[in-house]
Amino acid sequence: MSAHPASGRPGSGFVSTAAWACYLFLLIPSLVVVPISFGNPDQIEFPPRQFSLDLYRAFFNDPSWWGSMVQSLVVAALTTLLTLVLGVPAAYALARSRLPGRQLLRGLFMMPLLVPVIVLGLGLYLQFSGWGLLDTTVGLLVAHIMMATPFVMVSVMSGLHHADAALETVASIMGASRPTIFFRVVLPQLRTAIAVGAMFAFLTSLDEVVVAYFLTGTSTMTLPVKMYSSIRWELTPVLAAVSSLLTLLSLLIALGIIALQRKAEAKA
Amino acid sequence: MTASPSPAPAARTMVELKGVTKRYGTVEALQRVDLSIGRGEFVTLLGPSGSGKSTLLNLIAGMIQPSAGSIVIDGRDATTLPTNRRGLGMVFQNYALMPHMTVFENIAFPLRVRRLPKDEIKRKVDEALALIQLAHVAGRKPRELSGGQQQRISLARCIVYNPALILMDEPLGALDKRLREQMQLEIKRLHADLGITLLYVTHDQDEALTMSDRIVLMNGGRIEQQGAPEELYFKPATTFSAEFIGSSNLIPGTIEATGEGVVIRTAIGTFAAPAPDGGLQAGVGAALLVRPENMSLGALPGSATVTGALEDSILLGGVVRHFIRCGDGSTLIVQELNQPGRPVPRRGETIAASWQPQHGRLLPPAAA
Repeated sequence: MSAHPASGRPGSGFVSTAAWACYLFLLIPSLVVVPISFGNPDQIEFPPRQFSLDLYRAFFNDPSWWGSMVQSLVVAALTTLLTLVLGVPAAYALARSRLPGRQLLRGLFMMPLLVPVIVLGLGLYLQFSGWGLLDTTVGLLVAHIMMATPFVMVSVMSGLHHADAALETVASIMGASRPTIFFRVVLPQLRTAIAVGAMFAFLTSLDEVVVAYFLTGTSTMTLPVKMYSSIRWELTPVLAAVSSLLTLLSLLIALGIIALQRKAEAKA
Repeated sequence: MTASPSPAPAARTMVELKGVTKRYGTVEALQRVDLSIGRGEFVTLLGPSGSGKSTLLNLIAGMIQPSAGSIVIDGRDATTLPTNRRGLGMVFQNYALMPHMTVFENIAFPLRVRRLPKDEIKRKVDEALALIQLAHVAGRKPRELSGGQQQRISLARCIVYNPALILMDEPLGALDKRLREQMQLEIKRLHADLGITLLYVTHDQDEALTMSDRIVLMNGGRIEQQGAPEELYFKPATTFSAEFIGSSNLIPGTIEATGEGVVIRTAIGTFAAPAPDGGLQAGVGAALLVRPENMSLGALPGSATVTGALEDSILLGGVVRHFIRCGDGSTLIVQELNQPGRPVPRRGETIAASWQPQHGRLLPPAAA
């Protein structure tokens, strides 16, 4: 125990140092906004020379800021819910049925991941303008559901891959109908996979700026779009507070995903 | 779905398959199988993998549809009936217990599906748990239990709703030998006590011999032979049956009729044998079956005798098995009871082996 050979291997120190350097390189730009957000309310300043909560106060006092945050949260929540309602049964059907053209359908569901977001945004903009869906929450929801579906599908299909199909067979032999099997046997086993998929869907919608920039207007603007506009027109230090809040929220969700995946692995 | 006021006297047949065929493309996985299972009977489907026993099980369970033929379960035509309306139970090799439910909930599941009242569910589940002596684990999750315990839970889950027929697909395949033997006896006990009808699939001949009322031996998508374990063991109809159940010496030769009876002329001698069951006449090719335990070392008067070189002797505990290489290069197996102080023949020694002619059995030659 006293002389563990692995820890003394030459080069292991270098590798871990390099790894940490990379992490920091990736992290620092995101984290640097946090001290700024607690600093000077009049201009963006790093390192901050004073401490104040004024920027957060400003954020919550300006309805155009917290209004777009509420809009973002509402859109993300609805996107999550509707994507699950669509994606979970779709993933189940694709994973378990002998449907002809399954591979094609699976490919179609994954398409939104492959199309460049800017192309998707432009396409939806042109399509929706004819349907009167521009600057509506419904239009934005439709777009975000499209983009979030692949994440829910991938997560649920991998969950189904680990779930034993014999359980569905045995339930059927015991007399259970298809809906009973789906709700009492399949869904409970997919709890973790669905939760992970839901968090991905929520994050996808919450962080999405390009498509939302095309589709939203002043009445439906989400927080990332508001931030982007604000960078272009006024560059206010309130952005630092908004960024910190978004980072915190994303971090919490990401930690949630990691915790759930770890739990699922421990079970498997 | 109205229950008949006075149930008809229980029919003797629980399952009736007529001309059931299953084709996958041009491959016939099952060829015109007729099979009937009596109420309360313990029937085993035995056969090598690919013999069609799992196909047959899946057809009865309704997981696949037959290409031709009909299936009647408990007096109802079930040929196209969906799985969940066939009133069956099934025990899988991997237990197939719901991981998200407790033991109690697992056993209660089929009762909840049937919308039984809560207190009745509780009573029945408690009864089933008592029957398998696992009442103390009711609140645990399946993964906290041993393999043997899990399989007993899955048995209880079948018994609790009294299905017309319980299907068991290699249920003991995942257990170690000692536990397997214990579970064999437990399943037999439950079958005898509760009068359930059982269709048991296995590729293990010992398991089939131990447990069944009747063995259905499958080969290449057909039923090779069926009958009580003794019948299959002592009166195999084909060389396949003889080789699959028990171990066997098969000596190929030609049948000749003499004044006294039937003999078979083979490369290692001419032996008298009981008259074959039928279809085998003088002049045709045949195989003489002699079970290793019916042979003994040494020449005895009035016995059929061969000589050869002792290739090896292996100790199997209670019995010893000798391998004797005959003049034509074939090997015969002789099995004797083990006794302390038994003379040990040396390897390579020339040795005689003999059997009573009435212990031989003439079979049609193996299909080439």
